[in-house]
Amino acid sequence: MTGTDAAAQQRVSLDPSVAPPGTRNFRDAGGIPAALWRADQTKQTLVPTHCCFCGVQCGMYLRVDEHGKVFGVEPRNHDINRSRLCPKGLNAYQQVNHPDRLTAPLIRRSRDEEFREASWEEALDFTVAEIRRIQAEFGRDAFGLLGGASLFSEKTYLVGKFARVALRTKHVDYNGRLCMVSAAGANKLAFGIDRAGNPFSDILLTNCLLIAGSNVGECFPVMTQYLWGARDRGATLIVVDPRETAIARTADIHVALRSGTDAAFFNAVLNVVIREGLADEAFLAERATGWEEVKRTVSAYTPERAAEICGIPAEQVVQVARMFAGAERAMAWHARGIEHHTQGVENCLTVINLCTATGNLGKPGAGYGTITGQGNGQGGREHGQKSDLLPGGRSINDPAARAWISDFWGIREEDLPQAGTSMMEMVWQMQREEIRGLVGICNNPFVSLPHYATVKDGYDKLQFHAQFDFFLSETAANAHVVFPVTTWAEDDGVMANAEARVVKHNKAQDPPPGVRTDTWVMCELARRLGAGDKFDFDTSEQVFDELRAASRGAVNDYYGITYERLEQTGGIAWPCPDLDHPGTPRLFADGRTYHPDGKVHMQVVEWHEPADAFDEDYPMRLTTGRTVAHYLSGNQTRRLGALVEQTPRPWAEVHPSHGYRTGDPVRVTTRRGSEVFPALVTEAIRPDHVFVPYHWPVPTAANALTIDALDPRSKIPEYKVCACRIERAAHVDEVPAPPTPPGRPAYPEAQASRTTTRPPSSSQGRGTGEGS
Amino acid sequence: MMGRTLFIDPGRCIGCQACVSGCRECDSHRGKSMIHLDYTDEGRSVASQPTVCMHCEDPVAPCAEVCPAEAILITPDGVVHEADPTRCIGCANCVNACPFGVPKIDLEAKLQLKCNMCYDRTELGLAPMCATVCPTGALFYGTLEELQADRPGVAVSNWFAFGDVGITTGAAMVVPDGRDSRPVPGGLPLVSVNGRDVPGAGATRAAAEQSGGAVA
Amino acid sequence: MDRRKLQQRAALVGALVSLALVVAIVLGSRGLRDFDSALLPYAVATVFLAFGVAYRYTMWVSEPAAWRMFRKGLRSAFSMESFKRAPTVLPRMIATYLGFQKFLGARSHARWAAHQLIFWGCLLAAAITFPLTWGWFTFTASSATGPGYEMRLWGFKLFGFNSSSVLGWAMFHGLDLAAVLVIGGVGYFLWRRYHDRAAITGQRFAYDFLPLLALLTVSVTGLLLTFSEIFLHGGGYEFLAVLHMVSVVFTLVYLPFGKFFHIIQRPAAVGMQLFKFNSRKAGEPLFACKRCGTEIDTVPAVENLRGTMRDLGLGFDAWAEYCPRCKRELRGGAYLTDVKRGFK
Repeated sequence: MTGTDAAAQQRVSLDPSVAPPGTRNFRDAGGIPAALWRADQTKQTLVPTHCCFCGVQCGMYLRVDEHGKVFGVEPRNHDINRSRLCPKGLNAYQQVNHPDRLTAPLIRRSRDEEFREASWEEALDFTVAEIRRIQAEFGRDAFGLLGGASLFSEKTYLVGKFARVALRTKHVDYNGRLCMVSAAGANKLAFGIDRAGNPFSDILLTNCLLIAGSNVGECFPVMTQYLWGARDRGATLIVVDPRETAIARTADIHVALRSGTDAAFFNAVLNVVIREGLADEAFLAERATGWEEVKRTVSAYTPERAAEICGIPAEQVVQVARMFAGAERAMAWHARGIEHHTQGVENCLTVINLCTATGNLGKPGAGYGTITGQGNGQGGREHGQKSDLLPGGRSINDPAARAWISDFWGIREEDLPQAGTSMMEMVWQMQREEIRGLVGICNNPFVSLPHYATVKDGYDKLQFHAQFDFFLSETAANAHVVFPVTTWAEDDGVMANAEARVVKHNKAQDPPPGVRTDTWVMCELARRLGAGDKFDFDTSEQVFDELRAASRGAVNDYYGITYERLEQTGGIAWPCPDLDHPGTPRLFADGRTYHPDGKVHMQVVEWHEPADAFDEDYPMRLTTGRTVAHYLSGNQTRRLGALVEQTPRPWAEVHPSHGYRTGDPVRVTTRRGSEVFPALVTEAIRPDHVFVPYHWPVPTAANALTIDALDPRSKIPEYKVCACRIERAAHVDEVPAPPTPPGRPAYPEAQASRTTTRPPSSSQGRGTGEGS
Repeated sequence: MMGRTLFIDPGRCIGCQACVSGCRECDSHRGKSMIHLDYTDEGRSVASQPTVCMHCEDPVAPCAEVCPAEAILITPDGVVHEADPTRCIGCANCVNACPFGVPKIDLEAKLQLKCNMCYDRTELGLAPMCATVCPTGALFYGTLEELQADRPGVAVSNWFAFGDVGITTGAAMVVPDGRDSRPVPGGLPLVSVNGRDVPGAGATRAAAEQSGGAVA
Repeated sequence: MDRRKLQQRAALVGALVSLALVVAIVLGSRGLRDFDSALLPYAVATVFLAFGVAYRYTMWVSEPAAWRMFRKGLRSAFSMESFKRAPTVLPRMIATYLGFQKFLGARSHARWAAHQLIFWGCLLAAAITFPLTWGWFTFTASSATGPGYEMRLWGFKLFGFNSSSVLGWAMFHGLDLAAVLVIGGVGYFLWRRYHDRAAITGQRFAYDFLPLLALLTVSVTGLLLTFSEIFLHGGGYEFLAVLHMVSVVFTLVYLPFGKFFHIIQRPAAVGMQLFKFNSRKAGEPLFACKRCGTEIDTVPAVENLRGTMRDLGLGFDAWAEYCPRCKRELRGGAYLTDVKRGFK
């Protein structure tokens, strides 16, 4: 019981009622005061569309009022998600008419000045003058372009075309480089095609499901229904993850291996498969190459050796091998957990080797998939914003593809730039002042790239930097020009989800006054750069029709996909070469891969240690990832009241063996930085690991600690493991408010709980009874 | 148990709180979420449990019984409604009497609020918002037959034990198939372990012997 | 007490209260000398109203939960000790909760405004009509020719006024003003019943629409009477008067049984609030959750609730010592250990 002193007695208000937290806290209205809640359904229109967030691409309806404004969401029975939505998707609509939206271009001549609002003319003219100046002075390649995988495919196509045709620079890349490229690289090597082999619905048909390095319950919540559906039908579930995530908690086998040891583990599983005679030799002989070499390599990876490397019981390797290889139909899906490594591509290849060796490819309920993290993680990498790719997934190094696209775009082949460098490498080039000017579209590297100090230094060295965004991101706040562009609900466009199913997003409302589409801005810049005739687009559909034609005949063939067909079908999986083609939900159904010989090219993989060395000073493994209430760099979700309420801040997840209590300030130190988080003490993490979610900016940024070491092939940074130590600290570092233009504080209703110093009680967030 | 009702299975719950955000979107309570999501195994695992109103049938709605203002209506379909705003005086009796910890209260507005099984949707034949959006089926709305068709071999129980008191409810929880005829433990009585109250084992057995009822 | 006995007792209380009202009418109208026989149906309706209110009130406060809260509220209101501690709190609470209904503003500003219109409109109308129908008020011309009037209560002269003055206009058109206020408020609430999903959900005609329609009919017919008098030279007056009377009588008789019962019930909010206030003011500690230490409510409120639960045979009253979150977490923990931990 709590006593009250005499002074407090004097101040008893007329309404002194008390009630426990969680029964009375109504700050959870998502930032919208309840009195302003619109509960009138008589004049609403439902616009069918999809979620703007992750790679599952759930269908949803946006509720639009009689003034044409989005004001709510309604579940939609689309066959991807069957009405289900996650908290991010349910709150997504609140971005559209959010008070923090940018509604006028922001401009400043130097970073010492404050931003001021400017006209579109001034902002565009200034940007083009700077592009011209930098390219004239330092060469065309001194100006870079960075895109994003939350853009519609039409816009990602334009990013690539804008770089190659208007800027004529080789330096173009996108933030999918931080996300999907390892899987893409592995798929290309093994199959000659870069996408998941099976649709989600095949999961329901499998007998054994292996999920490697994916916290499905938090990162792709709606996909969980397929996992549970498979288990309801008798499938077994194997989860490989250093943390006991929501799906790992109840899995048949949870392999809690050390982060950065996946290749050793999967090699050992394959070793057991061979040893026990569970390999599908007939399938291998007919459909694969490289099997003998792989066999030789994995023979060195005994379960005992894997147990030592991975820190797991040796018999678990055997159990996994028997369960997976013994199943009639087995399936493996993986995500960033095995991809964010300096051997990310190789980790994926070990999983592909396992699927191939057990004959689990291209059949209903048997196959292989990779789960894209960003909404358009799949589509965003296909049509030319990646440094080495042209539309249709063609290689920019392929002379035939170069000739074809030059002809298609109406440019001379010698004017088409060569392959550029990856996103992280571009930052290093900025540090070295090889790249002096940059336009960023739909990305926030200040939060999302590893080793913040390097990133900040690189961007600060830029003579000119412009960003496109609809909220002022941490990166945009450091730029010279910020263009206010549309949200997903204000334009038409397509995205391709983790199944490579192309879905159409429909425009639900006109952009707020002062806001333009990314397409319009790119076209205007191109016009001012003298390439107006090649950027004459009024609508997304015009861009899409050019994209379709540009991808025709390539592996990623969109030619048969039209807006009309997408509206009729609810989504078509590429390749879809002609207008009568039904699309290709399941690959390799005819037994052929997309290599000329039609075979799976198995690759030899040797495990190696992560890039960051462990020693006495840095003995533990720091791993990073998402939490369910937030998305990527958090520029969107850290402004939505309900999501902030659910997870107001990051934490350091540690095992009880270190002696901390939940809420204690813990300093996490790596060779690159040091930050203090509240401890979330749980047995759901390995004792030698620390987990920090990455959605927040410095001084609470996981990526101030992570290492900018790259996979040699995919150039993906090693987010998932680096060496660290933990120690007690005095105070927890506070989460800063999301940036906003001068004079406009971040919407206070939504930020109310941000300054808490308590961690959530579980990694999914705070329970509804927590908080104030 | 009602015909079409909510079935709760914490074993499938991933704790994502889609139900909480979904509930908020329901027009009948304008941006206020009526569902609870708790992490019930804090410090050990990420296990979680959603709590909706269980719509107690026997004894019928303790919240309504302890209400001094006769504000809580129970419709013939068994749905226990939120407080009638014209009557509710905001005393919080229901908040503290509910054995499941369901009702919420807006102290300023002097108004209790609670889950009414999304009456605005269920009265039109739609599923409640939480069960519609739940990514995992931890919240399922329908008949028992529909649930069992979807998930072969599940059983449910709408009988709970709080100490030696049994409560049967309109909503139900999933239990393992073949579980003996004991009620689902409500958490009472408590035993102290290391100075911390934890639900004691054996309580449900005692209640079962006393009430001698059967599990649905 | 069984229900029939209770009903008998309530009927007795009702009868006594109605009888008291009849006596008051007879005495107040100076032995029916000031009683206007044209208003007889109204007066009869108020007697029925008195019976209904007393009956329904007795039935209500006899329920265990209400009875305990009723006693606590009364005891708080009449406690000398608490009066000394905070002499102004009761009138302030009455003004806040009953007069200006501040809590409604926290629900919605529009609803607060509309409710205030209805509330003050009805109060004004009742203040004028009830004494008139009971023959307590009389208006007499002070001279045969002039515009001067005298207002009398129980035969005693209160004040004189000029019928052409602003006060005079207001005195004779008070009911019209009340009708306008009520129509404004009712209009908003009717609109809301057609547009707001929160209001539409589970709404019932008899409970939610009828009171609004009754108020609307009373107000509109009342206004039309004035309209008929001024512009139609009494055209249709007879019919309107009957319609008005019927709607008023219906409203009064219905009042204790439907939504309007909240008018009689609302003072309980003040009693409850005062009950909690006194405990806080006396510096008593709050009751904290036995598991997590969160403050739940005042100690007497929790004790009162546990008593209520025991009265009702709800044998889990010890559970009230835990906050809702702990109840849920303990139940969740028990499910994990005793029912199932995993998927199957």
